[in-house]
Amino acid sequence: MTTSNTDAGVAATNALSSTGAASAAPVEARTTDRTPRTKRHRHPRRDNLVAYLMLAPMVVLLIIFVIIPFINAGYLSFFNWSFYKPSEFVGFRNYVNVLEDPDFLGSIGRGLYFAAMVVPTGMILAFVFANVVKGLGKKLSGFVKTSVYIPTIISGVIASIIFVVIYDYSGGILNWFLGLFGVQPIAWLADPSIALPALAVPAVWIGFGITALIMLAGMLDIPDSYYEAASLDGAGWFKQMLFITIPSLKNVILYLLIAGFTAAIQEINLPLVMTQGGPLNSTLLPNLYLFNHFTQDTYQGMPIAGALLLFIVLGAISAAIFSILNSDKAVDG
Amino acid sequence: MLQGILLTAAVPLGTSLLTGCGSGTPGQPAGDGSSNGRKVINFWSQQFEDWQSAWEKKHVAAFNASQKKFQVNLQIVPADAWAQKLKAAQAAGNGPDVYTISYGNIGSAVSTGALAPLNDLIKGQYLDDIDPSIAKFVSAKSSPSASLKQYAYPWLVEPSTVMFYRKDLFQAAGLDPDKPPTRWDQLPDIAAKLKKGNVYGLGTASVAADLSWSSWGLQQNAAGHYPVKTDWSSADPTIAPYQELANFYKSLYTSGGMPKQALSAYADGTPLGQGKLAMQITGSWFIGLLRQQFPKMEDKIAAAPMVSIDGDQTRPTATLGGWTLAIDAKSKVQEGAADFITYMLASGDDVMMDYFKASGWSKYATRTSIVKAIDADSSAQADPFRKLITDKIVKYGVPEATYPIDLSTDMATAIEKTMKGTSADQALATAKQQMNQYINNNKLVGTNTQSSVQSGS
Repeated sequence: MTTSNTDAGVAATNALSSTGAASAAPVEARTTDRTPRTKRHRHPRRDNLVAYLMLAPMVVLLIIFVIIPFINAGYLSFFNWSFYKPSEFVGFRNYVNVLEDPDFLGSIGRGLYFAAMVVPTGMILAFVFANVVKGLGKKLSGFVKTSVYIPTIISGVIASIIFVVIYDYSGGILNWFLGLFGVQPIAWLADPSIALPALAVPAVWIGFGITALIMLAGMLDIPDSYYEAASLDGAGWFKQMLFITIPSLKNVILYLLIAGFTAAIQEINLPLVMTQGGPLNSTLLPNLYLFNHFTQDTYQGMPIAGALLLFIVLGAISAAIFSILNSDKAVDG
Repeated sequence: MLQGILLTAAVPLGTSLLTGCGSGTPGQPAGDGSSNGRKVINFWSQQFEDWQSAWEKKHVAAFNASQKKFQVNLQIVPADAWAQKLKAAQAAGNGPDVYTISYGNIGSAVSTGALAPLNDLIKGQYLDDIDPSIAKFVSAKSSPSASLKQYAYPWLVEPSTVMFYRKDLFQAAGLDPDKPPTRWDQLPDIAAKLKKGNVYGLGTASVAADLSWSSWGLQQNAAGHYPVKTDWSSADPTIAPYQELANFYKSLYTSGGMPKQALSAYADGTPLGQGKLAMQITGSWFIGLLRQQFPKMEDKIAAAPMVSIDGDQTRPTATLGGWTLAIDAKSKVQEGAADFITYMLASGDDVMMDYFKASGWSKYATRTSIVKAIDADSSAQADPFRKLITDKIVKYGVPEATYPIDLSTDMATAIEKTMKGTSADQALATAKQQMNQYINNNKLVGTNTQSSVQSGS
């Protein structure tokens, strides 16, 4: 699962604020009790102005780099656009061409399959890891947390190259190791049946550190009193995990699922560097499909239409995850 | 979630905001700007071998010193970043004034109006010096009713398919190193015989990305034409010669002499230089790599024409790929750009002879006068590879396919499927359906700007 560092930071904050609501709430209540109502709302307009001013830079950037390109993309998707000649209006032809292209539809399905391999695997490993780290001493856990975070800050391109070396057919470490047990070399990146799982391994590796740290942050915010009470009631480790840890991590899990799925479906570095989408398109993920058309096509309408369709697919997936896992305020007992 | 959109959709706006009003070269003024009173010409070159970059830098500096009107700013762009960088710059209206373009991409660039015709910019005597067979590669009509014009100046040609092999390993396997195979059906057995321990018998393209362009020569060898009609009205890859071609690749892949996963990309001859392969099919550019990086292997390696479907080695086996320099249609310094191209590629012998010498004679000239000059050069005459490749491969070489690469990828996917177990019949039938759907969806009929200079089915 490949989440960006910025996303991770936001998630960690969200996780801490949501799961930490239980301890924060009483403090807020005390403050509210002591603050006269009239004093709190004495300068509402000034407060609003400050809020708008603080929001303004982000809103301006969003308008410039997201909203306007988005509207522009929607407009351009109805044209044959080549930068030099006047654009030709083609109606929905670009959308029809994309939807009739089996490679595009195949890439969407493949992206979902890839995400289904990467996200749950990464989350289960991260959950186990976070549980273990939670029980470690301060010094040791600091060292382990730093170590596990390293893959997150390695460039996706570098990670891809590292795994190309590992998977190399005649001189790779993996085939060398298997050769010690008499196993014949395996074409990890040239066999259509195993190439995508082979790419899923580095994807899990890259995302593991940040996923684990977010999980850990969520776990550390669960009050010990919950576990103590459960122990007194005779609940074992498994029941505590099932009825305390997992429900308390609900919002963290929701965030990681959405961020993980959208990032995994959009993975481009790994297939671009390791397989160029092959063999037999078995690693052609949606963004690589769009990238190939962007760089190779004579006209640009079709890749833009494809990008907008991918946006709809990703939005639908996020909405589905939201509806399945209702995002309530943190469970605070 | 928005990455997908920003990847393509933000290009038109984002690049213009990021690059502003300047050139595509950070810190440099735009093409119509000036530097010390000189007009600036931005020249983008794709990154090739180190010696080639050194040659470019040397002669760009010499051009800048030779006159006071123009200042050429050279930017060498890595190959893997080239396409997106160029497209993003062109979308933002900040494309380079002069840039490298391969023969296969000239037709589509002309169809979108991206290139300026050279006929009014470069003197006729320099255009006439281009070898007539190569001049066709750079000629096109911007519309069906327009006259045929030259849209790029050819720099070099290099055959894309040459069979390199280890003479010592041939001998060790009981094969005659002076008699390399000539027919398709001989090659799988020889590859299997040459496999010894960790050294594989043969390396060639085995995935669609590589096969899409590297199999063009053998498509011509098998059928005498490409599977797409010259007017791009339809495609038929299901004919018997292409079935034989797909099965030929399958016989190589299943021979036991070829690794199941290529040891390198098709264009990279490193495994042969490293001693991991006994034979490798790759382009003539391998000679330069051999001399630069593996000089100790030079005596052990020989070259031969690629095997032919029936052993007739006068049939084409290789396409003549290569590079040209073209001028952007929006450039505001087209005359200066033309002067620069003339200096580098078209006038006199010294600059280009310096280039071909530096290449170790591994590239092939496009101008009649340079071909004569090279033929007269004693070191070129003594080169063991040059005469063979010139006389037996370049002589029978054919132009690259100019239709959209998606069509070549469909054909290549069929070949790869056949290599990996699907019947050639079934794989090529799927390719036919996909290729014709692409032609119809993209309304390609009649859009080939080079149809008048191509022979086809």
